[in-house]
Amino acid sequence: MINDPLTIITLTPILVSLVLLIVPKITSSAEGLARASRAISMGVSLGMLAITTMIFLGEIGNVDWSNYNSGYYLTNDAVALIPSIGVHWKVGADALSFPMIWLTTLLIPISMLVEWDAKKGYLFHPLILMMEGALIGVFVSLDMFVFYAFWELTLVPMFFLIMIWGGEDRKYASMKFFIYTFTASVIMLIGILVMYLYTPDVASSGSITGHSFDMSVMISSTEFIPSEGLRHLVWILLLIGFATKMPSVPVHTWLPDAHVQAPTAGSMLLAGVMLKMGAYGFLRIAVAAFPESTVAFIPLLIFLGMASLVYGAWVCMGQTNLKRMVAYSSVSHMGLIFLGIATMQPLGIAGALFMMFAHGIISPLLFAVAGAFKHHYHTLEIGSMRGIAHHSPWLSAHMMLGWMASLGLPLLAGFVAEVTILIAFWMSFGWLVLLPTLTLIITAVYYLTSMQRTIFESNDPHQGILPDTLHGEEPRDITWHENAGMIILGALTILFGILPFIFWDMMSEWSSGFLLETLVQAMQSEGVKP
Amino acid sequence: MTSLGQLTLDSDTASSLLPETVMLVGLITIVLIPNLGDAKFRIPLTSVRVPVLLGGSRFDMTNDPRMPNRISNITFLVAFLSSLVLISESPREVGGVLMADGFSRIFSTMFLGALLLVSVATTHRIPAKTKAPIPDDSDSKAAIDRKISVLIDNRRQVDFYILLIMVGLGMSMMTMATNLFMMIVCIELASLSTYVLVAFHKESPAGGEAGAKYFIVGSVASAIGIYGMSLLYLWSGSLDLDVLRESWQAMDGVDPFAAFGIGMMLVAFGFKVSAAPFHLAAPDAYSGAASPISGLLATASKAMGFVALFRVLVIITVPEGAEALWMVALGIFAVVTMTWGNLAALTSENPKRMLAYSSVAHAGYMLAAIAVVGSGISSTEESVVILTAVTFHLAVLVLFKLGAFLVITHLETEGKGHSIDHLHGLGNRDPMIAGSMFLFVLSLAGVPPLSGFLSKLLMINGIVSTSASTGSSDTSDIATWAESVDPLFWLAAAIVLNSALSLFYYLRIGLVMFFEEPVSSKPLKAAPSLRMSIFACAILTLLCGVGPVSEWLLDLVNGAIDSFMHQ
Repeated sequence: MINDPLTIITLTPILVSLVLLIVPKITSSAEGLARASRAISMGVSLGMLAITTMIFLGEIGNVDWSNYNSGYYLTNDAVALIPSIGVHWKVGADALSFPMIWLTTLLIPISMLVEWDAKKGYLFHPLILMMEGALIGVFVSLDMFVFYAFWELTLVPMFFLIMIWGGEDRKYASMKFFIYTFTASVIMLIGILVMYLYTPDVASSGSITGHSFDMSVMISSTEFIPSEGLRHLVWILLLIGFATKMPSVPVHTWLPDAHVQAPTAGSMLLAGVMLKMGAYGFLRIAVAAFPESTVAFIPLLIFLGMASLVYGAWVCMGQTNLKRMVAYSSVSHMGLIFLGIATMQPLGIAGALFMMFAHGIISPLLFAVAGAFKHHYHTLEIGSMRGIAHHSPWLSAHMMLGWMASLGLPLLAGFVAEVTILIAFWMSFGWLVLLPTLTLIITAVYYLTSMQRTIFESNDPHQGILPDTLHGEEPRDITWHENAGMIILGALTILFGILPFIFWDMMSEWSSGFLLETLVQAMQSEGVKP
Repeated sequence: MTSLGQLTLDSDTASSLLPETVMLVGLITIVLIPNLGDAKFRIPLTSVRVPVLLGGSRFDMTNDPRMPNRISNITFLVAFLSSLVLISESPREVGGVLMADGFSRIFSTMFLGALLLVSVATTHRIPAKTKAPIPDDSDSKAAIDRKISVLIDNRRQVDFYILLIMVGLGMSMMTMATNLFMMIVCIELASLSTYVLVAFHKESPAGGEAGAKYFIVGSVASAIGIYGMSLLYLWSGSLDLDVLRESWQAMDGVDPFAAFGIGMMLVAFGFKVSAAPFHLAAPDAYSGAASPISGLLATASKAMGFVALFRVLVIITVPEGAEALWMVALGIFAVVTMTWGNLAALTSENPKRMLAYSSVAHAGYMLAAIAVVGSGISSTEESVVILTAVTFHLAVLVLFKLGAFLVITHLETEGKGHSIDHLHGLGNRDPMIAGSMFLFVLSLAGVPPLSGFLSKLLMINGIVSTSASTGSSDTSDIATWAESVDPLFWLAAAIVLNSALSLFYYLRIGLVMFFEEPVSSKPLKAAPSLRMSIFACAILTLLCGVGPVSEWLLDLVNGAIDSFMHQ
């Protein structure tokens, strides 16, 4: 039966959030109930964090991941959902998914904390809680049907978060967000269906179609897809779905709009976890199922990665809106993940995994800072406010830490990921490494300028320039709950910069196992040097 | 062969025909009850007065204009439940022309469920007012018109529900018919009633026009079908399906009588399922009729056409292991139908027309699946899966297609619903109804994990698993592989591409509901029973997509189709 911890952390948030969303409607009274829902949401999300932390300290942390075939941990006995077409409730975690699961459970309470006093809190916090269940569901499900259902479910709370609490252009942004990602996932669904229709016959398990959505069966379906051209086609279909989520140039245009309009907590989750769904799905499904296509399309991956990296960074330099700049920097950093995978080195893949995790801590910090600017200074224009270190010392400190972490300062989490990806890239492609390295200089340029123009650079050391949007009011520093959230994120950034091996070990073990089991053979047959 | 004259009404027969008996009783009740009054008959030459009940001044209870609606609701509820119970009963032959088995009961349950929803929804579409004021001279012209229309609605309650029960009777008898003549008679019983129901709102020009168009095209189609049937009779000397099947199997070459007969019947059923190019009356009929009736046409009436196609095409004319005569024609029809439907739906500004065209497109998907059954390359097991998929699709279509029409019905109660503008801002006015509508259109589009996805997946799976194995497997070039695969594979590709195309107009409904400014800030009417039906449809749309309910339904359908194919 369903009593394993992964099922609990997936379903509890969703069920609790549904109750919290529906109960105030029915009782129709209940100011107090509405206020309580915020506390309940926070309590549940903290409980989930406790569970995942205990899982890490207990079983998962001590597994030897280098044996890729040993499979998943904390799996349950598959519970039939629609046995006629081979759909089961099957969950599990491994070194690829577990850091993401932990990250999700960590970011949810923090984003709730940062927006503790959000308007319509009785809807806001339950929606974030629902987001938690949907995101964890994507990472834990080992059944493609369930995976896809959760994948689509993540759209729903995020759509409403942008739509109800967003900025002025929220309608346009939420619509664009929905249409882009939905269309991409439908394309991905076609790919999934082709894989499904070629899974080996499992009619004995009660499936009347003779096929199964079980992920391990689906991945083995590759051998049954008759033509190499069709395999490449399916791989491309999957790539479109995942790359749009990630997002990679040229399908990234929904991201800046969604980010700029989304509320702070929405942006934090969007950048922190939702973008990683793309990279996760790509590794979990597209690479694992079609290693030969992946090897054959390495040039495409490099191109997409480079384009995202360079274009994202280049556009950042021209941004005048703080949040838009941070959004494009996400596009740029996600490009590094494709580059890491394209190296086909254990180090590169592990670096990509660590990038997913590190960016998942740093980018929420960046968006929390940007959100605090919007909240207290009512503007995001770079240059309209100067020298605010004087007015908001805490905010400035967080901004500095976040910006430094994101541009890859050593001893902070981002550095570990970047440097390993670049080393692996050099090992695989030699001097081509200069292009991403030089791009990191551009990254430094835009981060440093924006920081300098915002928190320093004023004529009078005791009086900064305040934006017009304040209408002469005295600005305040961030509130306690914003501060608390940012301190936690900042501390983790430093922690994982100094002690990356907490997750690095399992990631690198898994990467070498994964490479050995799936990709090496493909590389040999394609004549690519491992 | 036993003849009709040997029909005996023993208790077993009565119990296996329980839903029909219930409807017959309901029909009689609905005629009698509103006429009950305190009339008395004086025995001549005495002063003794014996109450005869019929006539006189009506009792308060029987005079209640809401009575017919209640009787009809109860009738359909009981008939639906009894039909549901009878699904797992062992097959039973009645009078040589009817066969009550799982297959027929699956469909009659489907029809009765649809009719139950329609009947409940009509409570608010044609409202009955207990205290209808009588217009007098002091009223203004508008007030008089309003009062008269209330009186008219009260007056025609009985007519509507009598027709509705007739539809139910015709449809559920039709599912059991094993004799072509019986089948056509039952179809006509249901069809003639639907013609009147389409034109029921004769005060509006659209209603009359819709009824006239639907009637003319429908009766021509029926005439062609009946002519085809007579050709079949000329050829084989019997209209019994089993006899026809044997004659077809024994036929040497293709007899022109038989071929023309089948072709002509295909036209008649093609009209019923609204397949292109016989669908031209459908959008007009759907948009002119009251929405519950449009929903009935799009679900039950269409399913009735498919039962006929199952019986005539699959049972009579599918040869063992060879290509059926009509396979290529049906495949082409299917592709044309789905593409035409989707393209036309893209440009519709009237949500009812849009749903009508989407219904045409869905007919195309199902015809494509049936074409594969006739291809001769599918084994019986594969055919069972495909027909299960089609039947399951028809069953869940009742939930989300009819559900969507019920939402439009809700708009119609305030005089709107015939333009997409009226859906604008529904999300603000009534989030629950708008959410249900969004669920319905997503399910129509086939988005997982809703039931529309499950049925579409099963159909595509059936087509692909039948045809894809024909492609050569050792080619590395996709073009070579594409050439080597059986053409049937492209039917699956056509379904997928068409589904992607259809997303545009389905999502547009969601878009205008949640993003446009509402046409009026008034909340929708309460309409409790209509609301309840909509929510029931929405919840079932979800439940039939994933979880134990979907499994139960699928098992039921699969079992029935299995015995149908192996009889």
